[in-house]
Amino acid sequence: MSQALIDLVREKFPEAVVSSHSHRGDDVVTVKRENLVEVIDFLRNDPQTDLKLLRQVAGVDLLTYRSEMSGGAALASIEVPAYDVQNKPKVEPRYQVAYNLYSITRHHSLRVRVELRSDDLKVPSITSLYRTADWWERYVYDMFGFEFTGHPNLTRLLMYPEFVGFPLRKDYPVRKRQLLVPELDFPDLVRGPGPGPGGAGVPMSQTHVGRENVDPSTYD
Amino acid sequence: MTEPDRRAEGATIASPGFSGTEALQDQDPLSLEAEIPTTPMTVNLGPSHPAMHGTVRLTVTLDGETIVEAIPEIGFLHRGFSKSSENSTWHQVLPYTDRLNYVSPILNNTGYIMGVEKLIGLKPTERAEYLRVLGGEISRICDHLTCVGAIGLELGAFTVFLYAMEARELLWDRISELCGARVTVSWTRIGGVATDTPPGWEQRVRDCLPRVMELTNEIDTLLTRNRIFIDRTRNVGVISGDEAIDWGFTGPCLRACGVNYDVRKAHPYSVYDRMDFEIPLGSRGDTYDRYVLRIEEIRQSHRIVLQCLEQMPPGPIIIDDWRYALPPKKDVFGSIEGVMAHFKLIMEGIPVPAGEVYVYTEGANGELGFHIVSNGKGKPYAIQVRGPGLPILSALPRLIKGHAVADLIPIFDSINMIGGEVEQ
Repeated sequence: MSQALIDLVREKFPEAVVSSHSHRGDDVVTVKRENLVEVIDFLRNDPQTDLKLLRQVAGVDLLTYRSEMSGGAALASIEVPAYDVQNKPKVEPRYQVAYNLYSITRHHSLRVRVELRSDDLKVPSITSLYRTADWWERYVYDMFGFEFTGHPNLTRLLMYPEFVGFPLRKDYPVRKRQLLVPELDFPDLVRGPGPGPGGAGVPMSQTHVGRENVDPSTYD
Repeated sequence: MTEPDRRAEGATIASPGFSGTEALQDQDPLSLEAEIPTTPMTVNLGPSHPAMHGTVRLTVTLDGETIVEAIPEIGFLHRGFSKSSENSTWHQVLPYTDRLNYVSPILNNTGYIMGVEKLIGLKPTERAEYLRVLGGEISRICDHLTCVGAIGLELGAFTVFLYAMEARELLWDRISELCGARVTVSWTRIGGVATDTPPGWEQRVRDCLPRVMELTNEIDTLLTRNRIFIDRTRNVGVISGDEAIDWGFTGPCLRACGVNYDVRKAHPYSVYDRMDFEIPLGSRGDTYDRYVLRIEEIRQSHRIVLQCLEQMPPGPIIIDDWRYALPPKKDVFGSIEGVMAHFKLIMEGIPVPAGEVYVYTEGANGELGFHIVSNGKGKPYAIQVRGPGLPILSALPRLIKGHAVADLIPIFDSINMIGGEVEQ
């Protein structure tokens, strides 16, 4: 919408800004990971910016962004094969986290973005600034596996706790299947205690316990 | 171990630490002021519970009748919207968006297609813009009617639910005449919409709207000044405007707190700048305000629908650019250019220029956002949806804490969580 917000961030944090651009009316500023919290803290609390509404936290995996795999020569109607991580070059920085901020009083918006290298997926959490960041960060952790340091309860939001892998990463195959979830050893008021180790009538799904020793690629 | 023993063991594990009896020994057990010894009890609500509107599980800790803590657990309805979309062409994503908010699918269709058009830099035809607004506002009425009907139903006013359903069916019949489906419409297209209005459709909408408004007024009369309803909803689930923004509220739930933010007015898209309508605002941010606001919004949407019908110009419903829109069947079967355009669009997808946008529209429950990334190929590179219900549902523990367990259901109804858009 305007360059003013980007200029303001550049002026306030000349060291923090990596790059910035405007595209189709969206203002984007990429900041260093170390400065993320102070930049967003400023944007939220400064009366000039007043970006009090955190619309969404989104993650992007750039692994296949430039490769031929995601279209082009391949027909759109054919399913994209998963990226062969072993034999293809790595893309660095591979991940991005985008924070879409909005000001209800001033009617302007800004997207703050951080870039992550695949060997270090730590992002400082902004749950202390926005309450709504709690679930959005859990969502992004669930889908991409970024570790939001300082988050009070960083657990999966949509997938179940036993799920292995992070589904929105580009090297996660679309048709990948997961193991059955073992029945929990949970005391039940009606049926009595669960099967437990060595108990009679262990369900079939229990035989998959110990999945942590199984190579995830083998049960694709 | 015999069966009764196992039960007993299970019981002791499930309710540990029964305490408080020591402190009560000093009190006269016959005194009316004597405290009743209680321990916090954990109750599961859902995921398969008719009042949970979909599949949310709430683990509620109760102290007597009072809610001490509540932990929502979602994801039972997760269908992998983002992952499926990344492996479909731009148009194949449309049916997935129907299933986000399945009560007002046209609003989702419009929101997503506007994102693609923003990436391309495309403007749909004028008639298509009007049709989108028209269909969207009819959907909004349906969505609000569903919410209002559900509040009534779950507070014991079954008649209200029946009235709301009758009104909704009238409108869904019109939508099915327009789109060919009641709920899974997949109606918009890049650069326009799929189908034009059938002959006589405008008149049928004009004919059924008075009945819809009559039923809405009936609901209004039954509930808004009803003593029982007011007692159950007034000052229940209160949240202030600043706190609501902090929690990421948008839409009716935010406006019920008195914060004037509606995307249709703040950033008018399509032809909303030509419409004359008002944004109703609440003052207290409680369940009652959220209910009244929806009744009021139905009236405003009704105004918009009438204005659309009046102003809608004749003309094409989709752009005549074969790079983005499918050519008419006459050209597909009659000319080589038509066949080629059709083949390339279907097999290779639409070449949407590379870029990243966040597009936001006013959904029925708040700001519906799509964060779309394109790498210039026939498929979306990444799509993530901001369902308006997700931030609001995350604040549910804050809203119900300290209230009686009977207040949980009206509060949960009034935020109108739709499982499809929250759990994607």
